[in-house]
Amino acid sequence: MEAVRTTVEARASKRSRATWSVFSSVKLTVLLLSLIAFTVLLGAWCPQESQVGQEKVFEQFGTDVAPWMIKLGISDIFHTPFFLTLIALLTINLVVASWQRVFPRLWVLRHPLPFLNPSEVMRLPVSKTLTTSIEPDQLINQLSKKLKHNLYFVRRQGTSLVAESGKIGRLAPTITHIGLLTLLLGVTISSWTGFSGFKPVLLGSNLFFGDSEHSKLWIGKLPTWHIKVDSTRRENYESGEAKQWYSRLTVLDQNDHVVKSEEISVNNPLSYEGVDIYQSSWGLDQIQLAFNGQAKTMSLRPMGKLYAAFLPLTKDLILIFSVRDQEGPMRVFAKRPDWDAPKLLGEIAVGKSLKLGTVQLTYGGALPVTGLQYKCDPGLAITYTAFAFIMLGVCLASIPHRQVWAAVSPDGYGSSFLFIGGSAKKGKILFGKQMDKIVAQLQKELPGRANEALPENSYSSAKDTVNV
Amino acid sequence: MSEFQLALTNTAGLSSVASFWVFVASNAFAKWQKVMLRLAQIVMVVGFVSLTVAIVARGIEAQRFPLANLYESLLWFAWATMGGYLFLARSYTIGQLGWLASLTATAMFLYGSWLPASQHEIAPLVPALVSYWRQIHVPPLIVSYAMFILGGLSALLELWVGGRRQSMFLAIAAIACAGLAIALGTYTPIDSFWLQLLFVGGSLVGLVSAWLKLDKVRPANTDNKAVELYDDVCYRCVAIGFPLLTIGVITGGLWANHAWGSYWSWDPKESMALVTWLSYAAYIHLRIHRDVSGEKLAIVSVAGLLLVLLTYLGFNSLGFGGLHSYGRFK
Repeated sequence: MEAVRTTVEARASKRSRATWSVFSSVKLTVLLLSLIAFTVLLGAWCPQESQVGQEKVFEQFGTDVAPWMIKLGISDIFHTPFFLTLIALLTINLVVASWQRVFPRLWVLRHPLPFLNPSEVMRLPVSKTLTTSIEPDQLINQLSKKLKHNLYFVRRQGTSLVAESGKIGRLAPTITHIGLLTLLLGVTISSWTGFSGFKPVLLGSNLFFGDSEHSKLWIGKLPTWHIKVDSTRRENYESGEAKQWYSRLTVLDQNDHVVKSEEISVNNPLSYEGVDIYQSSWGLDQIQLAFNGQAKTMSLRPMGKLYAAFLPLTKDLILIFSVRDQEGPMRVFAKRPDWDAPKLLGEIAVGKSLKLGTVQLTYGGALPVTGLQYKCDPGLAITYTAFAFIMLGVCLASIPHRQVWAAVSPDGYGSSFLFIGGSAKKGKILFGKQMDKIVAQLQKELPGRANEALPENSYSSAKDTVNV
Repeated sequence: MSEFQLALTNTAGLSSVASFWVFVASNAFAKWQKVMLRLAQIVMVVGFVSLTVAIVARGIEAQRFPLANLYESLLWFAWATMGGYLFLARSYTIGQLGWLASLTATAMFLYGSWLPASQHEIAPLVPALVSYWRQIHVPPLIVSYAMFILGGLSALLELWVGGRRQSMFLAIAAIACAGLAIALGTYTPIDSFWLQLLFVGGSLVGLVSAWLKLDKVRPANTDNKAVELYDDVCYRCVAIGFPLLTIGVITGGLWANHAWGSYWSWDPKESMALVTWLSYAAYIHLRIHRDVSGEKLAIVSVAGLLLVLLTYLGFNSLGFGGLHSYGRFK
């Protein structure tokens, strides 16, 4: 009865292993990688709603095709069940393959290579023979030195030898898979506990995190402190193009006490309690005007290097206010439909006025808006560790792993036969060349009555000689 | 651009043209072939050194790392192609790859020299590019692309020496369609829909036909040793390119996180870099774990070459948007 139970359990375990083996299959890996690549390609080709909005999809494909793109999910492909299923399957494949195929290889690596006899050496993918009149011990010593010189790790046993180079390269799949698994962990932690968002903030206004659209906290919490924009400016090249954007930010606690103040710029964020605030964009948002002393704020629109506000006076007369930067003057234009170009009416410096007929127009200045991106990513350290593992793994993968076996037999007449062979999975041609070079160097350096390598197919005769 | 820099760049361009012709001519003179191949390589070394100095001179003149627009990246690409070939030629006897490498470098010089003058001028950087991450993120990517292109060219030669000439010509036709789409997209106002169709349609039809014709082998034209050689070279190129692409993609993520707080945003160009990465990851898995024949892997490698063209030049010229549009000039 016990035996039957054991057999049933063994079968069940075998079946379970077989089921998991389907998920660890390299065929499945290649299929999933190809499908994901194709899906990402589609996502790169079609504008994604989550990045650029639905309008861009209509702009690119027109009103006939765009609805289909939206209906089929191509315009938001990275959130479709299809793509998420592919990612889930790849994750399972990665986990199972790592446990069943990749990590167990580490144990194999711990075992030293076995020593081979001459006939086994000659069956290796690359093999050579050499005869010399020196003692077998001397010959194997000489070969050992040559291999060490070529960065091989050599082990000897009598007149046999095994050597390996680039063994560290065999760790590449393990390290890369550890990196990919760590990346999954980091991304999961980030998406469960982190938050991010973007907000354009006017000079003097505050940035709060509570109304973040991208808050997706499952475990974490939003900060109670907030940010105030004290100043913001744009630095230009001489040509007038933007060189850098700066914003001086103050971190204020719940009681509006200043806890930190710092100037940020593109590529130089502010960090406080695990939240990073980035300078993402910059622009002029409003101009402050006064018409005969009556204040009015007008919204600006970006127009190339300039910003402009439009004030219709009559059905066919429009006033245009144009500014280039915060400190510079404002130019006032008038435009009628029958005019080729707007007519310049005048230029007003900040705080100054211009008489337009009976109206005294005063320019109070332009109000900038700074685009602030923010994020809290508690999984970042794990993600960065994963990146390091992946980079290390793929770099190690480029190191070719080479194995060499050699055995020396005396021929009974004072000569020695050297049988040398080896294998390499990568760079086979270069490995063959290296073996040729080593054998050629030995031929040159060693004294001997034959002192020449036998042809590769002459093993049988060499073996016969040894046996005699 | 200074006269000195212009002279050096022109020397590099002319050297690539000259080495191409010497490589090609070496096939016509069996007796002098060895000498001519050596000469072609020396000419290429002259071009490589000139371009190295030209790039350094441009950096000194611009007072920044000289890799900020399409023209500068093309110089780097030509430099990496020539350097990659010379590196491989130290270990392998690959004269036939030489003329393809110099032809690629020449094409990049011509493509760059026909760009608008504004691209040649040293322009100030936009705020997002003012970062030390630029010199960490971009060069590995450019060098990886050059290595993948060399791998794809080696795969073409593998098909040729393997007697699979129909497959090779079809693969070349696919690359020609892709190149034509990029050229038309760069220099003409043709609607991007037709250009995308030409690129994708030509690539798919060419590659699928090449795959289907793999059985058509001319045994008389087969040289198994040469097949093994070009297969090895192709894998070597991928083995060098893949870690560099990985480093480039990851450092791009680190830069994006440092600058905008998000290391991945599905921007079209970063998505395309991921597609290329996934494709070469599939290639490596096929190579290591499956007994896929060399000629099939050669077609996969040509597919990789087309993806690299799409990622590197296609997205700028075929009307895709995104954050990585610094190379655009229209």
